[in-house]
Amino acid sequence: MALSKNPGGHRGMQESMYSVIALVFILVACVELCDAAAAIDVYRLIQYDMSGSAYGSRFAALNHHAASLHFPPGADLSRAVLIIPLRELNITFVREYINQKKPLGGLLFLLPDIFSFENGGNKQVHEKEQLKNLLAELEQLLIHANIPYPVYFAFENDEIDTVLADIKKNDAIGQPATATTGGYKLVIPTPEPKKVASPTITNIQGWLSGLKADGDTNQLPTIAIVASYDTFGAAPPLSVGSDSNGSGVVALLEIARLFSLLYSNPKTRGRYNLLFGLTSGGPYNYNGTQKWLRSFDQRLRESIDYAICLNSIGSWDNELWIHVSKPPENAYIKQIFEGFSNVAEEMDIKVGLKHKKINISNPRVAWEHEQFSRLRVTAATLSEISTAPELLQGTGGLYDSRQFVNETAITRGVKLVAESLARHIYGHQGKNVQIFADGGSLAVNPAYIQSWLDLLSQTPRVAPFLSKNDPFVMALKKELADHTDEVNMQHEVLEGVFTFYDSTSARLNIYQVASVTFDLLLLLVLGSYLIVLFSFLVITTRGLDDLISLFRRPPSRKVKTA
Amino acid sequence: MTMFHFFNCAILTFGPHAVYYSATPLSECDTLGTSVKAALVYLGTALVKLVCLATFLQVSENDGFDPYQELLKALIGFIDVAGLYFALTQLTHRNISQNHKFQAVGLGWAFADSVLHRLAPLWVGARGLEFTWDYILQGLEANANLVLSISLAALGSLIWLRKNKPKTLIPIIYACAGIVATMPSITSYPRRGLGWHFPKVVGFELFTSLVMAFISWQLFSACQRPYV
Repeated sequence: MALSKNPGGHRGMQESMYSVIALVFILVACVELCDAAAAIDVYRLIQYDMSGSAYGSRFAALNHHAASLHFPPGADLSRAVLIIPLRELNITFVREYINQKKPLGGLLFLLPDIFSFENGGNKQVHEKEQLKNLLAELEQLLIHANIPYPVYFAFENDEIDTVLADIKKNDAIGQPATATTGGYKLVIPTPEPKKVASPTITNIQGWLSGLKADGDTNQLPTIAIVASYDTFGAAPPLSVGSDSNGSGVVALLEIARLFSLLYSNPKTRGRYNLLFGLTSGGPYNYNGTQKWLRSFDQRLRESIDYAICLNSIGSWDNELWIHVSKPPENAYIKQIFEGFSNVAEEMDIKVGLKHKKINISNPRVAWEHEQFSRLRVTAATLSEISTAPELLQGTGGLYDSRQFVNETAITRGVKLVAESLARHIYGHQGKNVQIFADGGSLAVNPAYIQSWLDLLSQTPRVAPFLSKNDPFVMALKKELADHTDEVNMQHEVLEGVFTFYDSTSARLNIYQVASVTFDLLLLLVLGSYLIVLFSFLVITTRGLDDLISLFRRPPSRKVKTA
Repeated sequence: MTMFHFFNCAILTFGPHAVYYSATPLSECDTLGTSVKAALVYLGTALVKLVCLATFLQVSENDGFDPYQELLKALIGFIDVAGLYFALTQLTHRNISQNHKFQAVGLGWAFADSVLHRLAPLWVGARGLEFTWDYILQGLEANANLVLSISLAALGSLIWLRKNKPKTLIPIIYACAGIVATMPSITSYPRRGLGWHFPKVVGFELFTSLVMAFISWQLFSACQRPYV
């Protein structure tokens, strides 16, 4: 009966064995399915080479214990990650660490919510400015340093706040986390960062044709309005650049919309062509603008009367600056400036003129109009910034978030530029005519400005990480196509001076780990428990003698004599 | 460290079974076959219970204590008792005394229960970096379950295998067997209804299992005495 069962059952047994083995392999493979104490999105400090020198954070993977700023003095931090909330940041401390190249496992900066788009609500005003300046300073420090360990940014939230409070408590007791004392472990499992191959910059231009009189064979003069749309910041996925230069892009789109309304009717079409340019490569000495201008036909370049570049017009109160590189006595410059001043007076805005000479031998291009001036085209930049920024400064970094931009400022700026341009185009200089009067059909549309500003504040736009067919670039192209007659895109490769590396964002897992000593202790306890259990069971079921006999050597067999 | 922790929790969960087998006379009488058969019967019973639970039970959104559902679960829990009956009476065992038979069956039963319910979470969870007390508590729960299974097997053997029992003790035996059989439902009340945390629940289980083991031991030895 029992024997006959087996042959038929054998095959079934074999199959189930295979499935069991397969299951075992699968189970072995799923190693880290466990959930961490917290998992948050983190963004890595940018890593780039400029003219061969390395800058930024050179590593991405992280697997160290966490420490806070309250670490006991003299503690070895070379295998620890310092978690620093921005509110508690001491910039001299960080500067010291970086400049003296002290060994550190990693840095994690926690940014307050106001710098994120979703959560930036109405927080206290006085703190905002302080934090903004502190963050700007930190950013400048980090992007110009060569840091041999990972540096990450994250937004504060409840999970990480509780973790940090716990870490601070442990550190205060004087027990920093190491392998033997437990604590929190931060793990970011990303591969080594690789170079971004052939970063592209894309220039988008829109052309609005003016009205040619019958029988007129000459080329109509052109006025160009330009803004650069890309940014550069310490953390590329967070570099949204709401003011630098999101405000400029929004203003350009609104001006394009207004003039497209005017030019749609031949009766109101001006005798000037309008060329709108959205350029890329702004932070890198306006490389994109240079390539865009070089691609122009000679005749087109000569037909440009003047160009107005828009740069950061989102957070000013009453004063704007027009930056030029030709001397103010130049007739064209005078004309442009007077045109702007007249309109500005009517709008209660103060406009100042700033002259900065170009040094041809110096590769540094501080303003976009300088690229035009180098090719002998009259140009000026309208900006709220009064002094020329340094390289990679004011290019829309972490601190430049939606919170700090004022739509009303942009609206007024748009009205100023549009009104000045229109008076020049239609020949109404000096006359008190309001073409884009509020409340009329040509009024500046604040809703349009706000919605585009919101979009720009949510879109990181660091050029090497924007592909050729990035949806945002396509959206800009489509928008410009709606307002102009002809749109062209120019794709170029960013010049070899800059090299960028990828791996810009990752997911951080925070694990609460127990120390080795804990597990050793546990092993001891369990061992003694099992031994006690064993002895207990032997005694109760077989008797004490049996227990003792287990430890005695079996007595040598005595030959029993009959 | 994490494999180390997994090893620790594994010996806490499965060690007592091995220790029980080697410490008591079970190893001398070579009752491994009985234990294995009991384990297989447990697997079958678990399958049947799973099908019944899937068919009759509703999945509730909240984790509260629903008396009707718990009652249903308790009824399905009696399938356990039926399985144990099958293992004790229907399977052929070699010549081992009744005393050892129930221990072997209880041991195999508890071992299968631990493997089925606790090995997979242990393998997946205890090897990770994150540390929780859960796996150690789970091991303690396995210990309590071992004690409970052996006492249930003892009571079962008293009910079905021993023919002559003192009349007065019969209702007590049946009552104790009923309590031990429905122990999972009894522990789910503190866990869900009162909202106790896991350590408290495990402590409760350990306490009740020791109490029930003591009672069943007393009953067993009372029935052992030659009845006049």
